[in-house]
Amino acid sequence: MAPFGAAATVVVAMLVGAVCVRGLGGLGREGSTAGGRVPFLGGWPPEAHAWSRYHARYYPMALLFLAFDMEMVFMYPWAVVFVEEGLVALVEMLMFIVILLLGVLYAWREGAFRWA
Amino acid sequence: MGLNSLRIRLAGAAPAPVFVVCGLGGRERVVDLYAEPGLQVYSTPRHAGVLLVVGRLTRGLVAPALQAHDQMASPRLVVRWTAADGDDPGDHGDVFPNAVVAHGSAAEVAAAVAAAHRELLAGDRPPSAALLADIEPAPWQGVGPYGTGGTGMTGGVPFGRPMAARAADRDDLELDQLKLRLGPLLPSLPSGLVLDVALQGDVVQSAAVGDNPYRLYAGDPVPAAPAPGLFERACHQPVRIAELERARARHHLRWAAGLARLVGLEALGVRLTTLSARLAASEESAQAERLLTRIGRSRWVAGTFAGGDLDDAGLAGLGPVARAAGSEEDARTHDPAYRALGFEPVLGEGGDTPGRVRQRLAEAVQALRLATAAGDATTTVSGVVEGPRGRLGRGAPPPSAALVDLVAGVVEGLEWGDAVAAIASLDLDVEEAARHPQMAMP
Amino acid sequence: MTVWAPAVAAVGVGAALVTGTWAVATLDTAVAGVVAGRGLHLRRAALAPLRRAALLAGRHPVTTERPDAPAWVVAGPLLLALAGAALSALPLAEGLAVADVPDGLVLYGAAMALVMVAVFLHGWAPNSVFPLIGAYRFVAQALSYQIALFLVLLGAALPAGSLGLGAIVEAQSELWNVIRQPLGLPLFLVAGTALSFWGPLALPDGEDLAGGTAAESSGRELLVWRTARAAVLVATAAVAAACFLGGWLGPVLPGPVWMVAKTLALLVILVVPAHVVPRVRIERFVSFGWTILLPLSLVDVFAAGVVALRTST
Repeated sequence: MAPFGAAATVVVAMLVGAVCVRGLGGLGREGSTAGGRVPFLGGWPPEAHAWSRYHARYYPMALLFLAFDMEMVFMYPWAVVFVEEGLVALVEMLMFIVILLLGVLYAWREGAFRWA
Repeated sequence: MGLNSLRIRLAGAAPAPVFVVCGLGGRERVVDLYAEPGLQVYSTPRHAGVLLVVGRLTRGLVAPALQAHDQMASPRLVVRWTAADGDDPGDHGDVFPNAVVAHGSAAEVAAAVAAAHRELLAGDRPPSAALLADIEPAPWQGVGPYGTGGTGMTGGVPFGRPMAARAADRDDLELDQLKLRLGPLLPSLPSGLVLDVALQGDVVQSAAVGDNPYRLYAGDPVPAAPAPGLFERACHQPVRIAELERARARHHLRWAAGLARLVGLEALGVRLTTLSARLAASEESAQAERLLTRIGRSRWVAGTFAGGDLDDAGLAGLGPVARAAGSEEDARTHDPAYRALGFEPVLGEGGDTPGRVRQRLAEAVQALRLATAAGDATTTVSGVVEGPRGRLGRGAPPPSAALVDLVAGVVEGLEWGDAVAAIASLDLDVEEAARHPQMAMP
Repeated sequence: MTVWAPAVAAVGVGAALVTGTWAVATLDTAVAGVVAGRGLHLRRAALAPLRRAALLAGRHPVTTERPDAPAWVVAGPLLLALAGAALSALPLAEGLAVADVPDGLVLYGAAMALVMVAVFLHGWAPNSVFPLIGAYRFVAQALSYQIALFLVLLGAALPAGSLGLGAIVEAQSELWNVIRQPLGLPLFLVAGTALSFWGPLALPDGEDLAGGTAAESSGRELLVWRTARAAVLVATAAVAAACFLGGWLGPVLPGPVWMVAKTLALLVILVVPAHVVPRVRIERFVSFGWTILLPLSLVDVFAAGVVALRTST
């Protein structure tokens, strides 16, 4: 566990350090006025809050990503034992991938990657 | 403290961070500012420390400029670049009480801005205080019209502004839609263009052009008419073809520099701007021609831009925009001096954004070649001249007036990046559109 | 000994990142000067990032009307910390690493997957339209490159039979992966550019969005964000140097010098397109990522597998 501890320490230390650097001099509240807090849209204030729900045009793409992510989970240990297992391992993983690729092909033809 | 003074010295040596407010008569000067090494022009006032007001600050620009000023992080400063001769009574620039006034060429103004910025950092000049009143836009009303109440962001008008309303989207879904007024100071739009858009996510569902901030109201002092440019003079007197074509190439090069900035190639934009100033030298002209040919290659342009179709109805007299959509109209074909040089209008490849971009780049290359081949030939005076944006001459309305009407149609349904590129491909001049006789209304 | 005292480790990684980001900014300024026709001025380019940082450090951050303050405070530092996590798994020389875990690649993958979260938080927090568009664009961009990125790294892990970065470098002692798997490095560089949203793939922070997720940032917040972006680029180049260019392996000079030299060479390759290649449209990148990048990376993995089997038997 010691190496992970070292990595975790690095992450936490950098996070804390950077938060301190960012926080030096305040977080922007003091000295700011209402006119200056308006979001920049080119000169006029907005009518509504910007937080809104987007049409998740990439929702089918996110599902596809999940499928491939689960495949990645299997490929990580596969890569470690691959050389010992030989050609069998290659062929089995190839079959798995081809089935997923058919999913990508279907999504592409159905316009899942179309933006507007 | 040693560390602090080191920081101030280092910071003073950096290019001064500038946000530009382009007033009446400032458009050409602003293009030069982007190529100045002592300045760094940013696309949002938050990144800037100096508000540089170029030209006359009209009535319609006062509120946006004040807001941009307050949006800058302190310490901040205002610099006004005015013409050297006397005061302009219609200039509302005195809304900035402690502004530094600078005159001259872009290089001189850049030096003045850098010097003022260094004084600001060193503490020798007081930073500019906020100019808008410190009043919250509206009090928090958490209780909605249906008595929904709630805390935080639920119900009613949280923290002064409502949440996004819903509107129909494709697939017959009712989804959140933001209605925005994107203002005259947004650098990705032509300076002065006000666009009222309805955005669903990042797709523009509808757009309309708002009030032109450069228009003159009854009672506004009329600005001194600028000296007639080369294209205006060519309507009444013969002009050397080489000069005219070089002016045309210069215009298209500066337009291309703005387009390059939009797609993230700021350094290329600087190169195009510096080349545009030196086209009289044959070597720079050849370099510009090579650069434009390389940029205008089909695959580069077709991959970067898309959408923005315009059919060629209603594009009469609109120069490259019309020719890209398939029209063959070019006032230069009626000029025997041009025909003697073998001039033929460039054939358009499509009325969409990549087609218009390629059209302009090809016309710039053609203009450079005509300039080298023309020698001492002069144009034949006929009252009508083919300007870089469209037909100029007797009685013709300025081309930008018609181009502004095309904006709403060209961005509908496009994703935001494509919409911005489509508007840039039209090459608008909002100030020129304001000079249209219909605009001078009370 | 593969583990340093944690404090020294944190300081070491932090120093490496700061130096690396300074190198990235220098290269960026130098290339910009060359493309703009002003010539190559390396000394001026090396001082420019320090001057810009000093300028930013003296300005105050600003806030908007109703931001998500905790998210805004955390977003930039989180991106920097993720780059640090990636670097902590990387060996500088044989046995010289902060945390050369046996699953270093998984650690790197996890850190880079969270980059999407950091960028989205940075765009969501200000409650302003342009940053929010940038945030959503990056989600679409991230979903498109991530699988290809991880697959290509897996291809580099196959000959080593281990997911640890030290083992991957050692497995290249006869032949570097860039020659054994020719597709690997180009694909990784493309996906890495998308990961660090640099240059042609700087979609979330684009000019057409008035600065994108950083449009409402100012002062120290902007400084931390820009440093973090460059840090992710440095981590990408360093991991590519280890997995494809043989890391510390090299004839005459000591290991760390080779590692730094290879990282710098890759940084040059990553920084030059920013000033020469225009920004890619998001729609085009999404379909490119799924229909070209992903199948090519699968071809790369299986080709690497076949080569690994051949050389092992």
